[in-house]
Amino acid sequence: MLLDIMQVTEGGGFVIIQDSVDCCGRQLLKSFINAALKREEIIHVLGFEVCEDELRAGLDSRGIQRLYFHDGFTDPLGWTECPALTVHQFTPQEISARLGHSEQPKSVMLVIDSLSWILRHHPPAVVCQRLQELRRGGALKSILALLHSDMHQQGIVGSVCHLATVVISVSPGTGAKHAVAKTTRRTKSGRVTREEEYFTVSEDLTVTIEAQTIHSGKAQAEPEEFEADPAANLTFNLRLSEVEREAKEKLSLPFVFSQEKKSALLHHRPGAGRILYEPDANDDFDQEDPDDDLNV
Amino acid sequence: MAAPCNSMSIVGAEQKPRLGCNTSFQKKSRSKLVSIPGTRPSVQNGQLIVSTGVTSLDYVIGGGLAVGTLLLIEEDKYDSYSRMLLKYFLAEGVVCGHNLFIASARDHPEDILQELPAPILDDIASTRVEEGQTKLCDPEGQDSMKIAWRYQNLPKVQTALASSSRFGHYYDVSRTMDAEMRQTTKCNSFFLPDELPINSATEPSQMNEGYMALLRSIQAVIRREGFDGATPQYKSRNILRIGLHSLGSALWGDDICCKENPSNASSLTTFLYGLRALLRSSLSVGVVTVPSHLIQNRAIMGRVTKLCDTAIALESFKGLKGETNPLYKDYHGLLHVKQIPHLNCLVCEVPDTKDLAFKLKRKQFTIERLHLPPDLSDTVSRLNKPDLAESAKLLSPSCGSTATGKKHLDF
Repeated sequence: MLLDIMQVTEGGGFVIIQDSVDCCGRQLLKSFINAALKREEIIHVLGFEVCEDELRAGLDSRGIQRLYFHDGFTDPLGWTECPALTVHQFTPQEISARLGHSEQPKSVMLVIDSLSWILRHHPPAVVCQRLQELRRGGALKSILALLHSDMHQQGIVGSVCHLATVVISVSPGTGAKHAVAKTTRRTKSGRVTREEEYFTVSEDLTVTIEAQTIHSGKAQAEPEEFEADPAANLTFNLRLSEVEREAKEKLSLPFVFSQEKKSALLHHRPGAGRILYEPDANDDFDQEDPDDDLNV
Repeated sequence: MAAPCNSMSIVGAEQKPRLGCNTSFQKKSRSKLVSIPGTRPSVQNGQLIVSTGVTSLDYVIGGGLAVGTLLLIEEDKYDSYSRMLLKYFLAEGVVCGHNLFIASARDHPEDILQELPAPILDDIASTRVEEGQTKLCDPEGQDSMKIAWRYQNLPKVQTALASSSRFGHYYDVSRTMDAEMRQTTKCNSFFLPDELPINSATEPSQMNEGYMALLRSIQAVIRREGFDGATPQYKSRNILRIGLHSLGSALWGDDICCKENPSNASSLTTFLYGLRALLRSSLSVGVVTVPSHLIQNRAIMGRVTKLCDTAIALESFKGLKGETNPLYKDYHGLLHVKQIPHLNCLVCEVPDTKDLAFKLKRKQFTIERLHLPPDLSDTVSRLNKPDLAESAKLLSPSCGSTATGKKHLDF
């Protein structure tokens, strides 16, 4: 599913890559960017955490001119004379103005590296509102954001992920190279799919899925456990031969009636006797004590 | 024991006709009742009630929503079924000709309005379902009941919930309502980003700006359209249905979802006090959905529940493939009834069972009693949970076939 999401992101998508200190998600983010560059999309990166050269390193050289880097790394808080991008400029108006510089009405992808940085400097409710505003604006095809989930309270991570269409949380796998991606995707119609995959990101930023999660496999294997046959080692015969079975089937057991007799017993015939009982005023019927009328 | 009891009743019977002549009791005349389409008096307490749009939900919460009260829906994790319930509630309003008020901070109210499910207006659908059930029941009973055949004509356990008399409509989720039908109702909408320009400067107050604007907007609609009982009515009265989507989420500018100790913890509760006051004094009924799984502080959620009249919570199994108990496989989630209002009386209508589950069939959303098949296998033990689940799974199609099918011995 990870590859599906990477290849086809429908309009209005909002993908969050959640990572922690144990497992970095930036390689996965870069491979997402690379896949989008190969699709000839225009990419705007709001970079706060790594410098431009580091982000561009390893990306597809043919499409690299379609990547616009807005530098929030050198001076994120505006301490020098002319900062390129500060955290406080994270408003829908400002960002759409920056997107407007390159005025192609083609599909534009906004990459936020990382959302954690923004969440440290703005109230979370405001960040959520602005992200939603950006999505609604229609200028963007999709938003891709990196979020360091162990830096924030659980509630903030939950609120931000509530807005997203796809949440990929990355955690270290068993081996040294593998990592586990837990992907939750919800479509506009309300369908939710979840999957767990082992993946590796190679040098040229291609993602390969190593294996599906063992989790689903384990659930499959469980019901097929071998049950010991109690009739395996017996000193007497419990099996029936074909002839014996036929004879057994023919035998009619007592109180097993034919179909006609059963239906005759179950359905009320017009001639049959029935008890009609209409309780009158003096009838003091007590459910709890059936022997109420006995004078004992 | 029996004798004095009998004589007492005879005396009573003698006196009865004489008393009957000069009793002060009079039958309530029908003309005094207000007749608003889509409403009826409650069987329990005579309150004027409206349908939620889901007939089985009406049954669970005691007939329907009383006019002037507020229903709280705690959203499921991905907000799919709670959103559906909200749409049902609004669609019922459209069919009954009520006025609507929709507020949202996430999707535009117009979008919600366009997704309303199409009503099934004729009664054919419901009877068809019943026929199908009886047909299903018969052959199965004939086949599987070999030994206990005497029980085969007994009625099955009825899992579907419905009251005896028809109230509310059925809807087809797979189709959306006609545009012409939607045009007939008067709809007021409130979309937070349109009402409030986003600015980071928020002055501290008892209630946050979004809620304040929403409350003012609802109040304006109630005043303008004459839903408050204070103004004399010259034309026929109508009901205002208020649907508020995902209240308390971060998009409303509220931080109760983000922090354990939010800076304006009383914001939502203050709003709900205001909303309650408005609802109580007008011919309106409200439904609020709240993302309770995101709200960090349990105390806030408790206060919110207390401020609403009826409270239900949805717990969906969506996205939990293989993690839920296999016994729940027929259902899409569980419904918890958290609170039923005590209206003009000391006791409330208590549902007969607390184990409720919902499922989304191909066309409609229903709430049913959680009813598991009996566990008849020999190897059942309480410790071995998956084994139990498997046996229940096997048993569910029919008792007889599995009993013969998986046996090692021929006896």
